[in-house]
Amino acid sequence: MTDPIDAFHLPGLTDDDVDRWDVREYGATAVRLRFPVLNGGALTRIAARLVEVGGAAIRSMRPGDIVAAIDAASSRLADADDPLGRIAEYALPAATGYSPAMVRLVLDRATRDWTSPVLRDLLDREIPDDALERFVPMHGTAIRTMAVPPRLALHIGSGNVPGVAVTSIVRSLLVRAPTLAKTAAGEPLLSVLFARALADVRPLLADALAVAHWPGGHSTVEDEAIAAADTIVVYGSAETVRSIRERAPARVRIIEHGPRASVGLVGRESLALETAARVTAARVAWAVAMFDQQGCVSPHVVWVERAAVDVDAFAAMLGRALDALEQELPRGSMDAAEAAAIHDVRTRAEFRSIAGEDVSLFEGSGATWTVIRDADTAFEPSCLNRTVRVKQIDRLEDAPELIAPLRGFIQTVAIEGQGDRTDELARKLADAGATRITDFRSMPWPPSTWHHDGAGPLRELVTWVDLETE
Amino acid sequence: MGELRGLPHELTAGLDAAFARTIEEPLDDDTFGALALAAFAWQFDNNRHYAAFCRRRSRTPGSVTHWRDIPAVPTAAFREVELTCAAAGSADAVFRTSGTTQDNKRGVHVVPDIRFYHRSLIPNFAAMVLPEGTTMTMFSLVPPPRDLPDSSLSHMIATAMERFGTRDSRWCASAADGIDHETLDRALRDARASGESVCILGTSFSFVHWTDAMRERGMRHRLRDGSRLMDTGGFKGRSREVGRDELRATYLDLLGLPPTHCINEYGMTELCSQFYDASLRDAIVRRTLGPDRKVVPPWVRTEVVHPETLDPVPDGTTGLLRHIDLANIGSVIAVQTEDIGVIVDGGFRVIGRTAGAHPRGCSIAMDDMLEAVRNP
Repeated sequence: MTDPIDAFHLPGLTDDDVDRWDVREYGATAVRLRFPVLNGGALTRIAARLVEVGGAAIRSMRPGDIVAAIDAASSRLADADDPLGRIAEYALPAATGYSPAMVRLVLDRATRDWTSPVLRDLLDREIPDDALERFVPMHGTAIRTMAVPPRLALHIGSGNVPGVAVTSIVRSLLVRAPTLAKTAAGEPLLSVLFARALADVRPLLADALAVAHWPGGHSTVEDEAIAAADTIVVYGSAETVRSIRERAPARVRIIEHGPRASVGLVGRESLALETAARVTAARVAWAVAMFDQQGCVSPHVVWVERAAVDVDAFAAMLGRALDALEQELPRGSMDAAEAAAIHDVRTRAEFRSIAGEDVSLFEGSGATWTVIRDADTAFEPSCLNRTVRVKQIDRLEDAPELIAPLRGFIQTVAIEGQGDRTDELARKLADAGATRITDFRSMPWPPSTWHHDGAGPLRELVTWVDLETE
Repeated sequence: MGELRGLPHELTAGLDAAFARTIEEPLDDDTFGALALAAFAWQFDNNRHYAAFCRRRSRTPGSVTHWRDIPAVPTAAFREVELTCAAAGSADAVFRTSGTTQDNKRGVHVVPDIRFYHRSLIPNFAAMVLPEGTTMTMFSLVPPPRDLPDSSLSHMIATAMERFGTRDSRWCASAADGIDHETLDRALRDARASGESVCILGTSFSFVHWTDAMRERGMRHRLRDGSRLMDTGGFKGRSREVGRDELRATYLDLLGLPPTHCINEYGMTELCSQFYDASLRDAIVRRTLGPDRKVVPPWVRTEVVHPETLDPVPDGTTGLLRHIDLANIGSVIAVQTEDIGVIVDGGFRVIGRTAGAHPRGCSIAMDDMLEAVRNP
């Protein structure tokens, strides 16, 4: 058996800090990850070191240097021949449950967002004029302003989509904040590999980033982490977000990414001809299959406008496209509960149909994918793992009303075939609570400048300090 | 009685013979298979929703030649349609699940002829809960059928009490007020004083509730030797038996009942037959403790299937439990559960229930969302 992979990056960690080592096995390939179980006080010491040593180090670097370091680290993760890139490629499928093809695709796509051109563009748009380094004039006033980073940013990860946590860390480093990241149980590795790559390519940054995993909830370690931070970025369930909000002191800025759901709309312009409908169905299938539907950007329901191509025909096309993707981008592993949830949904659709309700069921072999065409137009949450509902509506303009009950939860709406109705529809969708409107191809991959859940990715991290004297 | 009209004479005779067997006399595969196939053929003709389900799979009495290939209906189906061989309105009993699923739709099991329920329940309960062959004073922590007419558990306890309970047996809970602690405590003290052993029946949850209350008041009961309890359910969360050890410790501490005398029952509204821990029968009849297991009565076959493909897996592999229960002659004999289990020597073990589990990922959890949709 190979040695376990160390799933932490804790600058300044000493033997005295570790109560014991926790080695966990993941997946059928028996990837083993090693986690330190920290003693009381250990994380407080590590966090203090991050603030003092790491803070000084990262603030001594120009933003351009940081961008270059992130770029270099990210290219190592993208490279399957690099020792760290190789670990990512072979260990992430076991650690996250995603298929190797999915992991490869996600690694390639995610690391692109951590390259110099993308990061420079992000910095320019969010914090222009070197405002991170000096007071810069505010447009049209005599006042000058500067973007001051957090003293310590704590990032709490969730879910299992590789790269989400790294993106959060990258934003934090870009604004020159010493950063402490808690990995999610479902994806405990990529952030660690990123930290290690970063330390390798730019040792000065090694002290500014710490990554570890600990059990959530009221643990001493988590309490220490919360007490040390002045900014917390939390991803997770409503319960997780609520718990962090309750425990954090009032002075702490909390940036919340709670549970979100996304949906799709297909308009009549995509459904005038079978050929066009097939192309759209393939794009929808792609958005459903990506991350096995476990992303906040993954669609639960697709509303289809009444058109020449019948909704059942479209649902069948979507099924065929999902079936084809099972070869190219296989679904990952599931536990019994997830599989049972899929069979539950299928059974109920089938028996509603048997009982004469207007429902059709399309399904792949085993529990690979499921499309349910349902005359009931209301939103229904999916049990995920490539299970999507297709519902016909008379007009796309009916969709905003259908998502309105989900205000606060709805995130991305993908639209195709809307013709020249984009702006009008987008306004109504925004009114109904959507925070991102895009097409199905872009749906899984928001641009780096994305106002994630409605706020600026870098602007929300910094504190703007104004200088009013001339 | 809502008779099962047109049940072939041969099938009736075969079922009679099956239910007449003792727990230790399993039906051989050929005999069970012949009965199950005959039952399947009859249900195919008399249960139109089930017939439609089978036709969609191209599995009909003409094509199915082994009992393992009889299409098993997932329990979710009972939430959508009435799967019954009874003519409308003629059923003896209609049992409903408690409605804890996400959409609050309740599963409905229409039982046309309750005699088959009793023919399974009575000998099985006797063998597993009262293996000495005695009657016993029974106390129920579940409200009586007049309070819970939909509950198969309440009906089951009522039947057991009627058949095996002494005159001192009583219901110690009501739908309106929950457990009647005073009555229960007094009844237990009286039984102790008169030297009677007792059998307490309830859900695991009701036992937790009761023992919590006892602990709060710093009280304990010392039940007479031979006393026992039967709790049901208690499998929560994902892939693990939550609290069973803790519960057993509590039973020993507060009631003085050893683990052998605390029998967990596994049953479901959708099945007429139940499954009990082997522990008490092992201790009293076999006088040797076998592995921890639920015992399958002769008229049932329990299999484990792969959670994704729903194909049978080799014994010893964990998967979803599937039961083929001849006592379900009035509805559907083959039922696919969402419970995780494993076949072991002499029965099976329940590892957990999957219902209501959270999906992975950063997408919204259904609970969060449904909460939002219901309480805008």
